[in-house]
Amino acid sequence: MTAVPLAAGYRRFILGRLAILGGLTLALALAFALDVATGPSGIRLGELLGATDNAALRVILWDIRLPQAVMAVLVGAALALAGAEMQTTLNNALASPFTLGLTNAATLGAACAIVFDLALPGLPSLWSVPVLAFTFALGATLLVNGLARSQGAGADTVVLFGIAMVFVMNALLWLVQYVASADAVQQIVFWTMGSLTRSTWEKIALVGLVLALCLPLSLRQVWAMTTLRGGEDHARSFGIPVERLRLVVLVRVSLLAAAAVSFVGTIGFIGLVGPHLARLLLGEDHRFYLPGAALAGALVMSLASTASKSLVPGLVLPVGIVTALVGIPLFMALLLSQRRRA
Amino acid sequence: MSLELHQISIAYGRQRVLEDLSAETMPPGTLVGLLGANGAGKSTLLRALAGLQPARGRAVLDGTELFTAPAAHRLRQVGYLPQSLPQASPLLAYESVLAALRATRPDLRDGAAQAAIQGIFDRLGIAGLALRRMGQLSGGQRQMVGLAQVLVRQPRLLLLDEPTSALDLRWQLAVLENVAAQIRQDGAIALIAIHDINLAARFCQRLLVLGQGSVLAQGTPADSLTPDLLNQAYGIAGRVESCSQGFPVVLADRATPLPTDRRN
Repeated sequence: MTAVPLAAGYRRFILGRLAILGGLTLALALAFALDVATGPSGIRLGELLGATDNAALRVILWDIRLPQAVMAVLVGAALALAGAEMQTTLNNALASPFTLGLTNAATLGAACAIVFDLALPGLPSLWSVPVLAFTFALGATLLVNGLARSQGAGADTVVLFGIAMVFVMNALLWLVQYVASADAVQQIVFWTMGSLTRSTWEKIALVGLVLALCLPLSLRQVWAMTTLRGGEDHARSFGIPVERLRLVVLVRVSLLAAAAVSFVGTIGFIGLVGPHLARLLLGEDHRFYLPGAALAGALVMSLASTASKSLVPGLVLPVGIVTALVGIPLFMALLLSQRRRA
Repeated sequence: MSLELHQISIAYGRQRVLEDLSAETMPPGTLVGLLGANGAGKSTLLRALAGLQPARGRAVLDGTELFTAPAAHRLRQVGYLPQSLPQASPLLAYESVLAALRATRPDLRDGAAQAAIQGIFDRLGIAGLALRRMGQLSGGQRQMVGLAQVLVRQPRLLLLDEPTSALDLRWQLAVLENVAAQIRQDGAIALIAIHDINLAARFCQRLLVLGQGSVLAQGTPADSLTPDLLNQAYGIAGRVESCSQGFPVVLADRATPLPTDRRN
């Protein structure tokens, strides 16, 4: 028999998946345009684009709407990519940067930087918050992974230690808030609710840089991660160093989560829903699943950003609240429709 | 190509599972049935040979020390199918085999990879499963896909842990016929942990019977299978007769009381 029939059948699946990735990209482009077109001032996109000599409109477009819209896309992609990699390496569909306490650790790091006014020598002040957020997230990751490895335990134990880490980090965050000034507490609250309103091009460049660094590294390990979906023993027997892969992924996830959390605060839902949407649409061949998760996360975040500016006229709600309120019913509907089709 | 096992000892913490296990040299094209009661150490031995379980002693595959060889080198030589079935993931059966092939042979050209995958699905008679999701397959079907993941790599040493446990009679025969054909063609060696003694006697050129932490018997099925061995290895009273085609057939009559040290 020739090599044509199965390969040809499989190629149809591949083309279908490429079409879905194309559809997600198109939907993201539309959602991005809608996000830029929406704002509490009610000024339409056409007016903003046409106003070349109106400084106020240019500020609204270039310093408010566009940075927020771009940040929404980047943060959504970063969190969803992080969630997708975690779900694979921990073999747990509930894993996300929240599960291991990464987001909470990053928030604690950011809170410490604000409350204790920690500045890192030789670094601009913009960097001290994200660097500390990353350091705390990485520390939490290494601690959880190290504890699990010292017990000779696998992915489930990593998740259990991670859940314990969430509570420890929350307790420490409350402690920091307890001793903080009223002004600092208000800034910390900004993190815990999640908001895009403080986005700047400088911060966008930083998050974009992290994503541009991590995504290609993730894509280099797609076959190892796809094989891991067949089971840890199976992957090990193929020479895949599962523990090392898990550690590398967790470090990368810490970087992604910290970069996102540092500037927009705690947004937990995207890291969970992006991978699930991608899995529903594309399966788990990681060549498609990882980019699909990043696109789906960016799309949901972009829509949530639009909703945060539209739900209450004249008011921008924290986007973290909106992702949960609007996204979770959407997510449940998708899961139920998938179950009905199965 | 040959496999030698010398004084292999394996323990889980302080609990010794195998002690000073040695086996006669296994020549190329040999299908070796690994027999023994539950907990005799069959899976443990296979996991150690696959590099998943620390072990003392020597396992030499065609001059290569398996216990000390770099993972990448062992990877090219050894294919292991664990006892647990591949997970019911949303992967297509085709891409689970493709991923297994790509994880070990990233340099293989697309055309060669497609031909290899097509060949293995055709040979195992499971081409109809290729474009279905692993989660939609029955346990037996997933076991067949798991076997395809191992066979497609054409390893020199196949370690198959109960590859027929979830299969009906037809597929049990198909699996063993295919494994036997592949190792004959490639000059490879297969160690198969299996509970069905008659199936092992039908297909394996050699048996390695484990019990009490070591080798109770080894040799051809006709030489090694005896009523005494059945009692010693499995705690049963049974007969070993010969079928019309000359293969030994085990007839189990009853369970005998276990020695004190094997009660749990």
